Amino acid sequence: MGEEYRITIPGILERIPDVCDAVVAAARRSGFNERAVYHCQMAVDEACTNIVEHGYGMAQQVGQIEVIYRNEPDRCVITIADNGPPFNPLAREDPDPTMALSDRKPGGWGIYFIKKMMDETSYTYENGRNYLTIVKLKTPQNMAPAARTTADTGIAVHTLTGSVREISPSGRLDSNAAPDLQAVLDAQLDDGHVHLIVNMTDISYISTSGLKVLVNAWRRARDASGNVALVGLKPQILEVFETVGFDQIFSIFDTTDEALKALYK
Amino acid sequence: MQIQTSELKRVTLFEVSGRVDSTNANELGDALNAAIDAGRTQIVVDLSNVEYMSSAGLRELVTALKKVKRGTGDLRLAAPSERVMEVLELAGLDSIFEIYPSQVEAVGSF
Repeated sequence: MGEEYRITIPGILERIPDVCDAVVAAARRSGFNERAVYHCQMAVDEACTNIVEHGYGMAQQVGQIEVIYRNEPDRCVITIADNGPPFNPLAREDPDPTMALSDRKPGGWGIYFIKKMMDETSYTYENGRNYLTIVKLKTPQNMAPAARTTADTGIAVHTLTGSVREISPSGRLDSNAAPDLQAVLDAQLDDGHVHLIVNMTDISYISTSGLKVLVNAWRRARDASGNVALVGLKPQILEVFETVGFDQIFSIFDTTDEALKALYK
Repeated sequence: MQIQTSELKRVTLFEVSGRVDSTNANELGDALNAAIDAGRTQIVVDLSNVEYMSSAGLRELVTALKKVKRGTGDLRLAAPSERVMEVLELAGLDSIFEIYPSQVEAVGSF
């Protein structure tokens, strides 16, 4: 059994950020990456907000919320306990993210986010307390970039002339593959390599998640006076960039040599 | 959370920064409502400095969007961080809101 952190707050909205801070600190210590840390924070925030607004909202007396963060070798387990009326938030029907604006209720998304962002969720009512238990697994995709290497991701990184780094992902750049590319690009940028070329020759498909990773890297590189150039885009990939106007953001070249000559000579 | 409001030629710009959560989302809602009630329904919310947003923040944005869409207005988002973008995507809001990579592009879209 790993180490454990506990925090108890009165069940009022104003104190929930204290719990968030504690969970963020604990999740970082466990080695999770910022995406996974955000997920843990938001899941706990939504759970506590739900308890205050629905569990204690009607109560005469404000109860307490206890949050227990347990760091285990392969996961973190977060338990949120309250002494409000018995209520299983997980039983609530999920809202539909494909719903049109006119059919949407503005609220009701909190529990949905918990389910989407965490790997496991469960609920019990024992000894007069509600226990919501949520789990984030220590899978490679959830761990900090420092722990990720080319060997984990299969994304090749080459050093070219003038310390330019060429990153060559392959296959489908969708929401499954995007975190890997993000990790590799972040690791380069974290190490101060801000002149990057992403070789897209072997990319057959790109989704918005993939585009987002490239834009994020481009933004980070630009803020550090660097650049992210793209080379070898297949026509169907280039078309995606043109459709969303990203061909205006990125420097796009046919080959790595052309990119080197134009940008980094 | 901090909100800076600017009246531009065609657009009311809200530059939000910090954390938007259940403790303060109503302030964002109030600020948006005040503009909409004053007839300013072409709105850009710049999220570039929002480090964290929970469903409470989304709720205010969706409520305001519904309100401006009753007329000819729109509420467009600019430069959400990768983390906030994921939250928007999970709720399907990336296809409900027009989202632009920068404030300039969002303001220029009106």
